[in-house]
Amino acid sequence: MASTGLFWALMGASFAGLFAGMGSALGVGKAGQAAAGVVTEDPSKFSKVLILQLLPGTQGIYGLLIAFITLSQIGVLGGGASDMSLAKGLLYFAACLPIAFVGLVSGNEQGKAAVSAIGLASKKPDQFGKSMIFPAMVETYAILALLISILAVFGVAGINI
Amino acid sequence: MSVVPMKRVQIVGLKRDRKAVLEQIQRMGVVEIESSLGEDAFFTAQDTAGAKSIFQKNCTLAEQALAILDEHAPEDKGMLASLEGRKTLTVAEYEEKVRGRDTAVTHAKQIVALQKEYAEKLADLPKLEAQKISLEPWMKYDLPLDFEGTKTSKVFVGTVQGDCSLTALYEALGDVAADAEIIGQTPQQTYLSVICGKKDAQAVAEALHKLNFAKPPASSMNPAKAIQDIEQKMEGRRKEVDDLKAKIASHADQREELQFARDYFTMRADKYEVIGGLGQSKNTFIIDGYVPVTKAEKLETSLTDRYTISVELTDPGEDEDVPVALKNNGFSAPVESVVGSYSLPGKGEIDPTFLVSLFYYFLFGMMLGDAGYGLVIALATGFCLLKFKNMEEGMRKTLTLFCFCGISTAIWGLIFGSFFGDTVTVVSGTFFGKEVSVKPLWFAPLDNPMRMLGYCFLIGLIHLFVGLGVKLYQLLKAGKVLDAIYDVVFWYMLVGGCVVYLLSMSMITEMLAIEWLVPANVANIAGIVAGIGAVGIILTGGRESKNWGKRILKGLYAFYGITSYLSDVLSYSRLLALGLATSVIASVFNKMGSMGGKNIFGVIMFILVFLVGQILNLLINLLGAYVHTNRLQFVEFFGKFYEGGGREFRPFTENTKYFKIKEDI
Repeated sequence: MASTGLFWALMGASFAGLFAGMGSALGVGKAGQAAAGVVTEDPSKFSKVLILQLLPGTQGIYGLLIAFITLSQIGVLGGGASDMSLAKGLLYFAACLPIAFVGLVSGNEQGKAAVSAIGLASKKPDQFGKSMIFPAMVETYAILALLISILAVFGVAGINI
Repeated sequence: MSVVPMKRVQIVGLKRDRKAVLEQIQRMGVVEIESSLGEDAFFTAQDTAGAKSIFQKNCTLAEQALAILDEHAPEDKGMLASLEGRKTLTVAEYEEKVRGRDTAVTHAKQIVALQKEYAEKLADLPKLEAQKISLEPWMKYDLPLDFEGTKTSKVFVGTVQGDCSLTALYEALGDVAADAEIIGQTPQQTYLSVICGKKDAQAVAEALHKLNFAKPPASSMNPAKAIQDIEQKMEGRRKEVDDLKAKIASHADQREELQFARDYFTMRADKYEVIGGLGQSKNTFIIDGYVPVTKAEKLETSLTDRYTISVELTDPGEDEDVPVALKNNGFSAPVESVVGSYSLPGKGEIDPTFLVSLFYYFLFGMMLGDAGYGLVIALATGFCLLKFKNMEEGMRKTLTLFCFCGISTAIWGLIFGSFFGDTVTVVSGTFFGKEVSVKPLWFAPLDNPMRMLGYCFLIGLIHLFVGLGVKLYQLLKAGKVLDAIYDVVFWYMLVGGCVVYLLSMSMITEMLAIEWLVPANVANIAGIVAGIGAVGIILTGGRESKNWGKRILKGLYAFYGITSYLSDVLSYSRLLALGLATSVIASVFNKMGSMGGKNIFGVIMFILVFLVGQILNLLINLLGAYVHTNRLQFVEFFGKFYEGGGREFRPFTENTKYFKIKEDI
């Protein structure tokens, strides 16, 4: 009977895609409501608020990225998935957790910041440059989590257990 | 390179020249005018609110008319029309067009009136439609709906609630002699008529009342005829609406004239706004304002040559709030808008644009880091820049910014060996059976992320130290040598010393994949330097407090600021993360595309997935690189030295939308 290692590794990839994607969906959704409100009043601000709406969308991309790297490392994607020890599978799982959870929370919170930034940009269009920075602050933590997940997934590949 | 020095200018002229002088200043667009009204009783303001509001009204009228024309006769514009810029008029052409301004206003009024009629007629249609719908269930009834009966009979027409059958109706009527008829039925309502003798009318009315009898829609015709009538009316309305639409569209050739009127009246309104703020005596007027030093002489000569006028230029006083304009070379000027969107340099600050631009292109390119994407951006923006010579200044700067960023991205892509991700490898491997890859000039971050991370930190450190260096320069320029030592040199010593010391630890160097180690004696010296810096910061960080106890506590707090250096440097890890994101997502799409295998079907699939995927990836990462480059500049870099708070130089100029007038002097 094969060990459940591969299952855990796949679970890690799914977590990364799942939770980070959920975070972005929440964030982009909130920001989208605010953006649509602004465009009802002033359609010319469409491109500006669209950019702000998209800012919380990156977490989902980061999640996808980690999921993809993991899938190709373990051979589920591109063929050649071989049996894997339980320990290694769990390591992959652990490596995926940072982006999964930080992605979920930061995506949602960045969405809230984006909502306010959309309000700012609609009232003071000349402050658009600054309004982008506030949501981007939140994203820093998603980037840090992404970095840890990337380094960990690559690191795990090299461990021989 | 710098903040443009400003001169204060005071122009005193004769009132009869006022219009011409102001128009000339407006056309030159180099003077920011401020109100010259003082406490002085001799020079008073002229009330221009009335005149201004007339101009504004005309301007709004023209704008409305233009919007209406756009609705009914949209202009045939290309996708890139917004890049074309305003049309240029010579002064002679301008004078020619000014003569047509009143006809333009008349035309605008006509268009607006037509639109009003159009809207009213259009609003009639749904009303008629609703009437028609309410009559439709009565189609089968062949008497007028308001027919109440003859001398001896009484007719009830109307609806009762619910699905009521004929038997149920007769039952409800009881034994009264009446003839009931169901005209139509829906699950909610039953349409019926009841005829009875006049003497039974009361009883029938009561019976019907119990069934919630309601009257039919008011109409004095029989329903079929009424519906036909309404249809005819609607037909007529539709024709009228179409006619009006065509009539409005026939004004399309007046578009240019309306555009001119819009610009002309805006300019007039602006001028009257300015006049309202001017100090005026019986025969003279005063204009106060600021003019860039470089333009001052030209302003002076062009005014004194033509008019009896005094132009006095002085240096602004120490505590004056002088407006700020930036002047940079072609390489850095595009970044001015980035600096401006943070804040313009305040008093005593240098223009950071040049330094910002160096790092901007560098960091942006690194974050996107793909030769293919870089080429796409550079070529697209370059094409627009070359094609549309007459582009507005702001748009030109933005496109130039992205063009330079694109070039930098392409260079970094070559350094990292990334061309649309791993497209070359995938295509050659999948379709030609032999893997060829783009050799990176340096190394691919994906192969050795830790090494890249080390370089990211190094770049961050350089960026931060340059920022500190600017602070040093500013303090030294202001003659605050001690402050420079306390606030900058000590930090250089502390942070620099710490970094060198850390590099002597094998744990750190192994982690960052650095092959060499700082020797122990150098590390010790570094440690001592860092120690001196730390002590210096603790002793001087709270130097504004006289009390030594308080001072040391504040100093310790300042020393705690070392953690912010740590987080600032770590923040540059985004260079690696975003760079990896670009290349990995690109390879995700390539992999998905190549799943079709080596056949004609696979090639088509690859091309489709490649196009959609790469465009998506480019857009997402372009946004990411833009936002995060800004962040590194605004938060990490500016945090070290820049406060801003300068007021933008807003010259009195032609604030037009469609035309610009070429001053031929």
